[in-house]
Amino acid sequence: MDFDFSDDQQQLRDAVRKWVDKGYDFERRRKAVAAGGFDRAAYNELAELGLAGLYVPEADGGLGMGPVEGMVVMEELGRGIVLEPLAQTLIAGGVLSGYAGDTLKAPWLPKISAGEALVVLAYQERRGRYQLGACETTATQSGAAWSLNGLKNVVAAGDQADAFIVPATVNGQIALFLVERGAAGVATRGYGTQDGARAADLQLTNAPASLITTDGLVALEHAIDIGIAAACAEAVGVMDKTVAITAEYMNTRKQFGVPIASFQALRHRMADVKMQLELARSMSYYASLKLNAPVDERRRALARAKVQLGNSMRFVGQQAVQLHGGIGVTDEYIVSHYFKKLTQLEMTFGDTLHHLGEVSARMQDTAGVFA
Amino acid sequence: MDLAFTPEEQQFRDDIRAWVRDNLPADISHKVHNALRLSRDDMQRWGKILGKKGWLGYGWPKEFGGPGWTAVQKHLFEEECALAGAPRIVPFGPVMVAPVIMAFGSPAQQQRFLPGIASGEVWWSQGYSEPGSGSDLASLKTRAERRGDHYIVNGQKAWTTLGQYGEWIFCLVRTSSEGKPQTGISFLLIDMKSPGVTVRPVRLLDGECEVNEVFFDNVEVPAENLIGEENKGWTYAKHLLSHERTNIADVNRAKRELERLKRIAKTEGVWDDMRFRDQIALLEVDIVALEMLVLRVLSAEKSGKNSLDIAGLLKIRGSEIQQRYSELMMLAAGPYSLPLIHEAMEAGWQGDAAAGALGGFPGGVVANAPLASTYFNMRKTTIYGGSNEVQRTIVSQVVLG
Repeated sequence: MDFDFSDDQQQLRDAVRKWVDKGYDFERRRKAVAAGGFDRAAYNELAELGLAGLYVPEADGGLGMGPVEGMVVMEELGRGIVLEPLAQTLIAGGVLSGYAGDTLKAPWLPKISAGEALVVLAYQERRGRYQLGACETTATQSGAAWSLNGLKNVVAAGDQADAFIVPATVNGQIALFLVERGAAGVATRGYGTQDGARAADLQLTNAPASLITTDGLVALEHAIDIGIAAACAEAVGVMDKTVAITAEYMNTRKQFGVPIASFQALRHRMADVKMQLELARSMSYYASLKLNAPVDERRRALARAKVQLGNSMRFVGQQAVQLHGGIGVTDEYIVSHYFKKLTQLEMTFGDTLHHLGEVSARMQDTAGVFA
Repeated sequence: MDLAFTPEEQQFRDDIRAWVRDNLPADISHKVHNALRLSRDDMQRWGKILGKKGWLGYGWPKEFGGPGWTAVQKHLFEEECALAGAPRIVPFGPVMVAPVIMAFGSPAQQQRFLPGIASGEVWWSQGYSEPGSGSDLASLKTRAERRGDHYIVNGQKAWTTLGQYGEWIFCLVRTSSEGKPQTGISFLLIDMKSPGVTVRPVRLLDGECEVNEVFFDNVEVPAENLIGEENKGWTYAKHLLSHERTNIADVNRAKRELERLKRIAKTEGVWDDMRFRDQIALLEVDIVALEMLVLRVLSAEKSGKNSLDIAGLLKIRGSEIQQRYSELMMLAAGPYSLPLIHEAMEAGWQGDAAAGALGGFPGGVVANAPLASTYFNMRKTTIYGGSNEVQRTIVSQVVLG
C-alpha cells in the first residue's frame, strides 16, 4: 500500500506538465477551438513525447507502460484542458495490443505509437445510451471479408481520426472491428462539442472492416474501463487547476474593500470543493490501480470511481463558476472552459446515475477498497 | 504506487484477525453488531482483554510498553477489531491522555499513570469543553489556583463522555488570565474521587446518558498532577489532537455498518427497491472513497511526507458518513423504527410477557429497536471533536491561505 510516485513517473509528469505549460497555452487552445476543436500538430507533439504509445508494448514501438503512467499523463493534460483525445489513443493501444491478432497489431500499433494514425472508439448509439450490450450496428461476413452497417454518434475527433474501433453484432453477439476512415462506405459528419473539442457522427454502409475480436463485449468493457480511468485522471487534473484558479481569484478580487477569500461563507464552500477534489483524486488512484484487476473486481471498481468523479466534477465545476461571480460565466475568462470540460467528462463513458446503477447491481455483502 | 498491503502487513492482519476471533467475547460482539446497549462492564472487559495482551495502548511506542506498530499496522488492527464487532476502545486513557503523559509528563507521572491506562484498570475521562467554551475552547474558565503544594480547582466541565464511570479526569484549567487566552491554560490530572467533584449525567435526545457535567467545587489537586509546565497546557492539548489522524474517520466501523445496513435493507424489503438501493450504493462509494483517503494519509505517514492538507478532511467526511448510514438504517425500517421500547435495546430481550402474542417488538424484528436512537445519537458526530464548521475553516486555510 503505497501512493508515492516513482522517480520515472515523476519525470513523466514533469515532461507532460512542461509541454502543457510552455507548448499549450490558453491562446493556442483558443485558436484550436476556433479552427474546429482538433489540432493535429498538437497531437503529434504528444506523440513525440511518446504518449501515443504509452499502452503499446515496446516490441510494437510503444513505451509499454501501465495504468499509473496513464493516470499521471492524463492528470497533466487535464490541467491544460488539452483538446486532443489522448484517452482515445490509450484505449486503442490497450484494446489492440490486448485483443487483436498479429495481422492487425503489426501494421497499426507502430503507427499509433508514432502518432501517424489516430484510432478512436466509435461505440455510441442512439438507443444504447450508456448500455454497452445494446448495439444495432451489424457486421456481415463474406469469405474472409467483413462489412459493417450502422450509425455511431459523438465519436471523439471522428472526422479527424484515421481509423475507428467499432462494436457491431454478429449473430446477436458483439464483436469488435477496425474500420479505416478512408474506406468505401464510411461517411462522417464532424462538429464541435461543448468542451471545445471535436466529434463526429459515423455512418457505415457496407463498410469494409477488420475483425479485432469476436469476444467483443469483453473487449468493449475493457476499452470503456481504460477510458473511465483516463477520464477520472483527466478530471482530477482539470479540477486541480480549477481549484487553483479559483483560489487565486478569491485572493485577488476585492469587494467591500477586502479580498473575497476573507468571507466565511465562501471559505467554507471552498473547503467543500477541496473535499470533493481529494475524494476524486483518491478514487482516480483507485480506478487506475484496479485497471488490471480481475474483470468483476475491475468493473465494480471503475463504476464506483466514475460515480465519485461525476459527483465531484459537477460540484467543483459549478462552485468554481459561482465563486468567481459574473466573470465566471464569460467565455473570455478561463474558468468557464474548465467547467465545460468537467461537464462533458461526467457524460463520457457513462454518467453518474448510470454508474450508480452499476454499483447498485454489483453490490455484495461486504464492501471496501479491497472488495 | 501499489494498492496491496505487503505480505508482512497481510500476515500481520491475519494474525490480528485470528487473535480477535479467539479473544473477543461473543456476547459483546453480538451487542456491537446489533447496536445493543453496551454496559460499563462490556467496555472494560474488552479493554482489559486487550490490556493483558499489551494492545490496549496499541498506538504506544515500545519504550512505554506498547507494541511499537507502524501507522499501517495500527490501521489494520483497528480494522480487524471493528469488522469483528469489537467495541471501540474507550479512547480517553490509552489514546488521548497517555500520549500527552509520554511526551510531556515526568518519569514519575509516567510510572504512576501509564500502567493503569495500559491494563484498562483505570477509567479516564476528558475535561475540556465547558458550558461557555465549545468551539472556542481557549475561552475556558475553570480555574486552578496554586496554593503551596496543591491547586484549588473551581468550575464546570461539560459533555464529558462516559464521565459517570470515570475515575480520573484530565482537564484543561485556567492558571492565568494574562496575555492571550491560550497562554493561561494548564493540563491537570484530577482524581474524580476527590472531595468537591460532582458528576451529573445528562440525558441526550436518544434517551441515553452518554455525557455528563462535571463540577469542581474547591477541589484540592496535588501540584505533582500538573503535566509539564504551568500555562503550557494548550500546546500539550494540540499535540494530542495531532496524534489523532486516520482513526477519527472511523472508516472501519463504517464498513461494518454498511454490511449491517444491507442486512437491514434485505430484512425490511427495501433492497429490491431501486430508489432505496441506489442510496446504499452511493454510501458504498462514499465509504470506499473515504477508505482511499485514509490509505493515502497512511501512505504519506509511511513515507514521511506531510499529509496535513488531506488529514483535515477525514473528520468531516467520516462523521457525515456515520450520520448517513444511521439515517438509512432508520429509513429502511421506516415505521418499525418508531416504537420507543428501551428494554428492547438490551441483549436477550424476550418481549413483554404480559402482553402475550402482542408482546414482541412491533413488526417482529427486534433489531429495529435501536435504529432511530442511533440516528439521533449520531447527530453528535458533526458537532464534537471540533465541529465540522470549525474543520471547514481549518481546511479552507490550506486552500486559500
